[in-house]
Amino acid sequence: MTVRRPAALLIAAAAVGVIAIAAVIASSFLSEQTVAPAQAADAQPDVVARGKYLAEAADCAACHSAPGGAPFAGGLPMQSGFGMIYATNITPDPDDGIGRWSAEDFWHALHDGVRRDGRQLYPAMPYTSYRGITRADADALYTYVMQLRPMKVANRRTELNFPFNIRLGMLGWNLLFLHDSLPAVSIGNSPAWRRGRYLVDVLGHCGECHTPRGMLGQMELSRTFAGSALSRVAAPDITPAALTSRGWTVAGLRAFLGRGLAPQGSAFGDMHPVVVLSTGSLTEDDLNAAVTYLLGDRPPAIVPVSTNNPANIGAAANGAGRITYLALCAGCHGLDGNGVPNTVVAMRSNSTLRLVDPRNLLVTMLDGIVPENFPYRESMQKMPGFADKLSDNDAATLANYLRVTWGGQNDDVTPAMVRALR
Amino acid sequence: MSLPTRPLTLTINGRRHGPIDVPEGMMMIDVLHEMLDLTGSRLGCGQGICHACVVIWDRDDQTSEEVPTCITGADFFNGKRIRTIEGAAQTNDKGEVIALSAVQQAFLDRFSFQCGYCTPGFVNAATVLLERLKRAPVPRAELEATITAALENHICRCTGYVRYYQAVRDVILATPGLTRENA
Repeated sequence: MTVRRPAALLIAAAAVGVIAIAAVIASSFLSEQTVAPAQAADAQPDVVARGKYLAEAADCAACHSAPGGAPFAGGLPMQSGFGMIYATNITPDPDDGIGRWSAEDFWHALHDGVRRDGRQLYPAMPYTSYRGITRADADALYTYVMQLRPMKVANRRTELNFPFNIRLGMLGWNLLFLHDSLPAVSIGNSPAWRRGRYLVDVLGHCGECHTPRGMLGQMELSRTFAGSALSRVAAPDITPAALTSRGWTVAGLRAFLGRGLAPQGSAFGDMHPVVVLSTGSLTEDDLNAAVTYLLGDRPPAIVPVSTNNPANIGAAANGAGRITYLALCAGCHGLDGNGVPNTVVAMRSNSTLRLVDPRNLLVTMLDGIVPENFPYRESMQKMPGFADKLSDNDAATLANYLRVTWGGQNDDVTPAMVRALR
Repeated sequence: MSLPTRPLTLTINGRRHGPIDVPEGMMMIDVLHEMLDLTGSRLGCGQGICHACVVIWDRDDQTSEEVPTCITGADFFNGKRIRTIEGAAQTNDKGEVIALSAVQQAFLDRFSFQCGYCTPGFVNAATVLLERLKRAPVPRAELEATITAALENHICRCTGYVRYYQAVRDVILATPGLTRENA
C-alpha cells in the first residue's frame, strides 16, 4: 500500500492539472462565446402564432416562469433528489436571457440538452422528451420566444450536490438515458394516434412526471407512465389499462385535458397548471389526438367500480368512516357522493378514490386544495384541509370508507400511512 | 317516509342539549335553525366560503376555533362544546340581553355593518381572536396583520371590511394585555 500511495497521488495531481488546463481553455472558449451578437428572428406572424401554440403544447411557461414573475423569465425552483435547480430566463434578453442564441443553439438545447456555451443542461429541462421535436417546430418555437419582451431577470445558480454539480457528468448520463424516441404507451397507428404520440410524449413531456425515475433520475422507460411521486401529490399511473381501470373514458379525458374538470375529478396539484397553461390551449383535433394516444386506437373497456367485495362495503356503510364523511365531507360532496356541479367534484366517479395507492386521497384530505380558476371561466372553490380535525385513525377510516364505497378498493389504509404523510 | 336519524348531544353556549335525533347527513346550521331555535347563525354561501355561519368550537385544550356550520355535519359536533352568536351577549334569567360583548358594542359604535348578514360570523371571529390574544399577546407592530389574518376569511358585501377591522383593533387596544410593545 505504501508503495502505491505516491503513485495514486501522482495520478491525482496529473488529473487535477489536466482538468485545470481544460478549464482554462474552456473558459477562454466560453468567454469568446458570450460576446456573440444579439440575435433577431424573422418574426413572421404565422410562424410566431405556430410557435406560441407549440410553446403552450410544450408547457414551457410552467417551469420558465416563477410564481408572480414575468412569463418565460425563469426562476421557478425545482427540488430534485440531487439539489435545487432553477428554471432559466428564456426571454431574448442578450445578457440574462437567450438573446444571443441562434436557432441552431436553440435546437441543440431541445434536442441534445446542450447550452449555447457548450455546457450540459440538467434533465430538469426535459430535453429527454423534447428530443423528438421536429426541427421545423423547434425553429417556430425559437421564432416565438425571440419576439417576446426581453426581461432583465438574472438566472439563479443551480445548487446541486457533488458530484452532480459537474455538468460534464451529464455526457455519460446522456449516453445511457437520452433516447431518440420513447416507447409507445398504447397500441395504434392512426394519424390521430401518431399526432397524439408527438403531443403527449414529446411536446407535452407527460412522462417526465408520470414515468417513475431511477436512481440517477432517469425515466424508467420500461415502466413508462406507470406513475411517480415527484411531489406531494403523486402523478398517477396513466397507462391505458390504469386509466380505464379508474373509469377514464375518451370524453372524460378530453374534458380533463381541455377544461380541467371531468366526472372523474378536477386537475389539482401540479396538474392544474398543466391544464391552464398547456393542455387547455390544445385545439379540438389535438385534444382528440392526445386522448387517442393515451388510450390507444382501440381503447380498453371501461372498468366499472368493483362491487365484488360486498362485505367490505357493508362494513364501510356502517363504520366510523361513514360518520366522519357525514360530519366533514357530505356538506359539499353530498350524502350520495354526487358533489355540486361546477363547484365540488363528485366522489362517486372520482378517479383518485380508485387509485390503488391512497397517497393522493390522504394528501388531499389533510392539505385540502387551493381555489383555482379553470379554462372556460370555470372555477373551483377551496377545499379546506382537515389535518387538524382528523386523527390518523379518523383519516384512515374515512379513506377506507371512500375507497371501499366508491373506489372499488379494499379497506387497507392504516393510521401509519396517514402519519407518514403529515 | 322517515329519514334515518342519528343521536346528537352537545353543549351550546354552556347549556347541554340532547340527545336529539338528527336526520342523517343534516348540516349543523339546519340543526341550529330547525331543531334548536337558534336562528342567529346565518346561512350564506352554503359552501364554507363566506363564513357567515361559523360557530365557535371550544376545544378541550382551552383553545377555540371557528367552524363553518353550513358544510359541517351535526355528527362533527357530537360531544363537543360550541358557542353561537346567541351566546355572545350577557343575558338575564328571561333570556333578555343586558350587556353586549365588547366586540358587538364596537361593531355598533363603528357602524361596521349595514345589512348585518355577515355580522354573527364576524363577532365570532373577533371573539376567537380576542381570546387567543389573551392567551398569547402579539407585538403591537403585528396587530394589523394579525387582525387581517383572523378576519380575512369572512366575506362582507356592504361596508368594505375597514370598519370591522378598525372596530376589532379598537377593542384589542382598549383591552389590557392583548398586545406587547416589542417583538
